[in-house]
Amino acid sequence: MPTVSQEFRSRFGVLGIIVVVVLSALLVRLWTMQVLNGESFAAQAENNRVREISIQAPRGRILDRNGVPLVTNRSALAVSVDPSHEDVRALLTRTWTKDTADDPTSRELDEMFGEVATLLGTTPADIWDRVTDVQQEALRPRVVAVDVSMESVAQIAERQTDFPWAVVEEIAVREYPNGNLAAHILGYTGAISEEQFKNSDEYSGYERGDTVGKSGVERQYESLLQGDKGWRRIEVNASGRAQGVVSEQAPRPGNDIRLTIDAAVQAVTEDQLDAAIAEAHRQGYNSSRAGAAVVLDIETGEVLASTSRPTYDPAAFLGGISSAEWETLNAKTSEYPLNDRAVMGAYPPASTYKVITAISGMEAGITGENTTYTCTGRWTDMGKQWPKWCWKRTGHGTVSLRGGLKHSCDTVFYEIGYELYKRGEEELQATSREFGLGAKTGIDLPGESAGRVPDAAWKKRYNENYPEYQMWLPGDTVNMSIGQGDMLTTPLQMALVYAGLANDGNIMRPHVLRDVLGSEGDVIRTIEPEVLHTTGVSAELLGVVERGLVDVTETGTAKGAFAGFRPTVAGKTGTAQVKGKDDYAWFCAYAPAEDPKYAVAIIVEQGGHGGSVTGPAARNILAHLLGQELKTIRTTDESR
Amino acid sequence: MNKTIGQRILDRVSVPLVAWVAALLVYGTVMVASATSSMNSGSGMLMRHLFGIGVGLVPLAVAWFIDYTRLRGWQGPLIAFGAFLLISPRIPGLGGTAKGATSWLEIAGTRLFQPSEPAKLIFIVIFAAVIANMKGRVDTPARITRALLYLAGAVFLILMQPDLGTGMVFVAIAVVMLVVGGMKAKHFAFLAVAAAVFVGAILGVDAGLDEMAGRDVGLKDYQKNRLLVFVDPDIDPTDAGYNLAQSKIAIGSGGLTGKGLGSGTQSNLHFIPERHTDFIFSVLGEELGFFGAVLLLGLYLALLLTALAIANSSRDLYGALIATGVLGMWLFQILENVGMTVGMMPITGIPLPFMSFGSSSMVTNLGAVGLLLSVWSRRYGAGS
Repeated sequence: MPTVSQEFRSRFGVLGIIVVVVLSALLVRLWTMQVLNGESFAAQAENNRVREISIQAPRGRILDRNGVPLVTNRSALAVSVDPSHEDVRALLTRTWTKDTADDPTSRELDEMFGEVATLLGTTPADIWDRVTDVQQEALRPRVVAVDVSMESVAQIAERQTDFPWAVVEEIAVREYPNGNLAAHILGYTGAISEEQFKNSDEYSGYERGDTVGKSGVERQYESLLQGDKGWRRIEVNASGRAQGVVSEQAPRPGNDIRLTIDAAVQAVTEDQLDAAIAEAHRQGYNSSRAGAAVVLDIETGEVLASTSRPTYDPAAFLGGISSAEWETLNAKTSEYPLNDRAVMGAYPPASTYKVITAISGMEAGITGENTTYTCTGRWTDMGKQWPKWCWKRTGHGTVSLRGGLKHSCDTVFYEIGYELYKRGEEELQATSREFGLGAKTGIDLPGESAGRVPDAAWKKRYNENYPEYQMWLPGDTVNMSIGQGDMLTTPLQMALVYAGLANDGNIMRPHVLRDVLGSEGDVIRTIEPEVLHTTGVSAELLGVVERGLVDVTETGTAKGAFAGFRPTVAGKTGTAQVKGKDDYAWFCAYAPAEDPKYAVAIIVEQGGHGGSVTGPAARNILAHLLGQELKTIRTTDESR
Repeated sequence: MNKTIGQRILDRVSVPLVAWVAALLVYGTVMVASATSSMNSGSGMLMRHLFGIGVGLVPLAVAWFIDYTRLRGWQGPLIAFGAFLLISPRIPGLGGTAKGATSWLEIAGTRLFQPSEPAKLIFIVIFAAVIANMKGRVDTPARITRALLYLAGAVFLILMQPDLGTGMVFVAIAVVMLVVGGMKAKHFAFLAVAAAVFVGAILGVDAGLDEMAGRDVGLKDYQKNRLLVFVDPDIDPTDAGYNLAQSKIAIGSGGLTGKGLGSGTQSNLHFIPERHTDFIFSVLGEELGFFGAVLLLGLYLALLLTALAIANSSRDLYGALIATGVLGMWLFQILENVGMTVGMMPITGIPLPFMSFGSSSMVTNLGAVGLLLSVWSRRYGAGS
């Protein structure tokens, strides 16, 4: 009997060939994958297995000039919402659709977040607000509450099954040991904005959700304070769960920086500004809420103190500020507490500016220390139809330039201004600019205002669409000569003007950074004093001005504020008129007059009179600086 | 003749077949151990794997000792039993669902086995009788149609589950047996074209039905996706495409020598799905590299050529066809399973013979070994 094989041999042959072909095909495929492309696949496997996560570097501390900590770090318990949790993601998906009709209703939010919101002392709407914040790395947990009490944390942790999307974690936050002290200089921190994030030059290497400086020194010296992120390469499984650390690089903490600010001087300055505002209220100026004060070291340009009112609490920004709080801080009725009026506020300098008019006039040779003027209270040199009034309606009688400073007689400066106008060389503007007005001082703080020195070219440009207002008129120079009209300066600029008067006419570049510390606390960079403007005003002319300013505090418009004060102070009151507002009170000074060390400028918006509101505040600030006793001074001096 | 008992048993055993199967079982056990080592229930899984092998020895022995020629007389009962097996998961109280297919026999919540696995062997036996009855001359349209009706019946019942992969195994078994059964190349070509047109039409009609019904009716979307992903893995990288991509990364990253047994990162970190069952080859490729894959394919080549030799040695066409069917089943499952892990074939749930964890398939494959031994041991005639 023939075996099957004889009849079917060819068919088995075909089958054998099929077997060999199939297995060979698999083998060839494996050869290409494992041997020819093995390295590329190996790299992919490694990439699969290892995730790199960044480790935030501790932010550098900010110290005062003596090493007193102004901003440090601490850890805080934070509750976050995990946006990748399915329940949260379901709601988020509906928010992100164009159709707003399917957005989560307040009832749904209440059901989801209501209990946690109550535990955290916030609202479901606020929690949702923070969760939907698009300025975050998509998967990063959204911090909804910082400094949560242990009790609340325990309750949330206990009920993890009810709130599976809630994450309790310890995060590093800024700490402000002195509360609001120097809030405007220090600034606040917050999550990097989309705009900042896309500014790749300055913020390269940053991730969405990173904490960055938003204002003040925190913003200015972000690159020093930030440090370098570390990283940790972790092995993860397919569900992304960490299995272990493969390698890590510790972060490099940010540099500590030392400011020129003196915490003690700063505290006194803030107290005195608050006291000045309180005094304004006492005198019936009830709209007064805002102001600023700057204290400079004359020889170096170092800012010893700088403050602005109203102020804010930088700690409110920890872990992200709620939109309700943010809106409050930016509402018109709140008078913009985030603005640092010391460098951003542009005010008419009023009579504090008269020193510039005096110098400009003397340099032009049209006046001198003892040149006399007659003040009748009403000045009509420009024509009877355009009368100007001295603040003292009854007139100062016969008065010299020096007396004009002492009594702040407007008529004297109208006359000088009118003469300067007639010369037609814009010398007043030139002198103003020599003293740094109308330009940014270049202080190392963000958002500085340049102020304004008006001139013919400016007026023409400014009134581009109103041809009838384009011409520079005598009244423009006359108004300017008493620091009114279109003249605008910041408190910092005025402090610099007075510092320059005291420093042989040399104006130093103002700065708030003193030095940068290395990881061992060693100084790795020091800011050297730098001359910003050399005015070239002669010692003789500076002497005239100084004698006038000393008169002010001894027998002039600020005699009440400085009664009995030693050493001698060279100062000037100012009372700025602002349309539709109560008068703004100014005081600028330097001291001691014989050997000047400090310059002060202070303004209280709608505070009334410089002599009685800001003068006493300046006096006490100088008293602290010069080791004198502080005093509460009440004068009814209504002079300007 | 005076043969000792030992010699007589040895005479009935195909030593190469047993050797290759034993080698594969050892290899498979090692791989399952490695693949399950990072699971919580790893050692339990290994025990279950060994248990499956033990249980599989029973059908192996039974098939071996039964004279296969007697099966030919049981055609009717076998058809009934095979059909029952394929329908059983759909019978209320008996079925269990996994991965979209109702392919498990489940009684009182306990999963027993996948009846479509042993049904493959029954189909082989039935189909062998059908072709043998035609005396190996399946070369007329009428005969081809008759033979294909058996296949169509089986495939129809499987697609009811629906289990596309197992359906493909049945088709492959039939094709290989028809080669030996004498079907001509032109007929294969005609059927291939017809099948392609048919599948295209089915997909089109199914898409239309889904559209009309507004939901997923007929073929399940995941099944279509798997096929589409095979064509373009970028379609859905998170699901079926993800599995394929991770499997390829695992195998490719194994390189020439592999990362070492138990050291596959893709495997231990759970990037490979179903790594101890359908994707066991990905673990092997990653941990033992190209050398390990060559060893496995070499063992398979030896196994398949041994099966072919057994078919060749059969004293009748019926036995040869049974052996051929087993060969076809294994060959296709190897091609499909290894092929899917390297992106050559669509992803289906076909286990790798003797390697994958899973008792249904293990028991079936050992039963198939029994069938081969039955054919081998009776190559000189019954009782010799």
